[in-house]
Amino acid sequence: MRGPGALGLPRGAPADYGRGVAQFRLQGSKVLAVDMAGDAVKAKNGAMVAYDGRMTFKKKTGGGEGLRGLVTRRLTGEQMAVMEVTGKGTCYFADRASEINLVELRGEKLYVEASNLLCTDAALRTGTTFTGLRGAAQGNGLFTTTVEGRGQAAITSDGPAVVLRVTREYPLQVDPGAYVAHTGDLKQHFQSGVNLGTFLGEGSGEAFQIRFEGEGLVYVQPSERNTLGGDL
Amino acid sequence: MPFTVINSRMVEARIGPGERLYSQRGAMLAYRGEVSFTPNIQGGQGGIGSMLGRRIAGEATPLMTVEGSGTVMFGHGGHHIHVVDLTGETLYVEADRLLAFDGSLRQGTMFMGSQGGVMGMVRGQFTGQGLFTTTLQGHGSTAVMAHGGVIELPITPQRTVHVDPQAYVAHRGDVQNKLSTALGWREMVGRGSGEGFQLELSGEGTVYVQASEEKL
Repeated sequence: MRGPGALGLPRGAPADYGRGVAQFRLQGSKVLAVDMAGDAVKAKNGAMVAYDGRMTFKKKTGGGEGLRGLVTRRLTGEQMAVMEVTGKGTCYFADRASEINLVELRGEKLYVEASNLLCTDAALRTGTTFTGLRGAAQGNGLFTTTVEGRGQAAITSDGPAVVLRVTREYPLQVDPGAYVAHTGDLKQHFQSGVNLGTFLGEGSGEAFQIRFEGEGLVYVQPSERNTLGGDL
Repeated sequence: MPFTVINSRMVEARIGPGERLYSQRGAMLAYRGEVSFTPNIQGGQGGIGSMLGRRIAGEATPLMTVEGSGTVMFGHGGHHIHVVDLTGETLYVEADRLLAFDGSLRQGTMFMGSQGGVMGMVRGQFTGQGLFTTTLQGHGSTAVMAHGGVIELPITPQRTVHVDPQAYVAHRGDVQNKLSTALGWREMVGRGSGEGFQLELSGEGTVYVQASEEKL
């Protein structure tokens, strides 16, 4: 499954769109190939599997730039070990044989777990936001990573992810353990179906959901992480 | 007798009278026809000398000989299987990644430490490959295991390929193999990018890379 626009250039793009910036393409479904011509991409630490040409790898710290980013990272624990890859040639990335999804961002914001973010264009800004109770229920902590700007990002999922569209008329409920990422103008809140049965050990295993309302896309993986409410 | 890919984790081999196949012991999933499986104490071809060589080199994986007539399906541990057809060139692969291979291929053990001098020795330690590797040469088919899918990257004299040692599966052709380091002060102070060591492959051939950094 791919995000919108991942198959080609976005409609109405200028002729020189994408020139001179890193080109992301999938080699199979589990390897990301990035063609670079002297520019840079940010990738998860240690995710490179092979490259040709000349590349240099430099460790960066994710979760925002500057002093503010540093403080946020310390406070939130949402620190992602990122490396900056610069060079000329093709670099191949993969992460524990998980499936890779390409997301094309055109100014919108992508919310994704740091552990699911494989690689982003260097032009994209990464930051950290508070997610509230949802984060804890996902088994991910209270903070999540945001990616913003124009360019491509690659996110990983356990099994091929499906992209579900949310519109004003059709809100979406997702199991916190299967949620991977979302983009667009979405409001999320946490809902629980806990009743007396849950406490008596007769729960359906679906005690908690995240409800998305608004307009946007949600990436869902066909697998569930271990979550706080997963057994209820 | 080429291997037929059934799905990404299973291959099928057709075997006829007089033909022989070697496979990792216990890797048979199902078979049709009259097929016999004999444990191969020597761990492959050659005589006692070859066996001793493999034992010393740590490249002795329990193998079995498959003979008879019929079809045999192989798979192991749910790992992805990649079929490599050889036409005269040499395949270099770790013994424990080798699932099955044609009996007509010549199996050998190579001392990898000799490539690249001291760095060659260091490489073996770092990559967990040890100092020796198994070689297969001739005309025939082999099935190699990997975690996650496998991609093939061509190597040409103009195009040197660098591979993460943990993601390296096998290579073939006339390829020079050395460990290159990109160690700087950052690694020393624990701020490394996690890509401090790479295998540099140059020459003419193909390298097989898995989509994961996990060992089998």
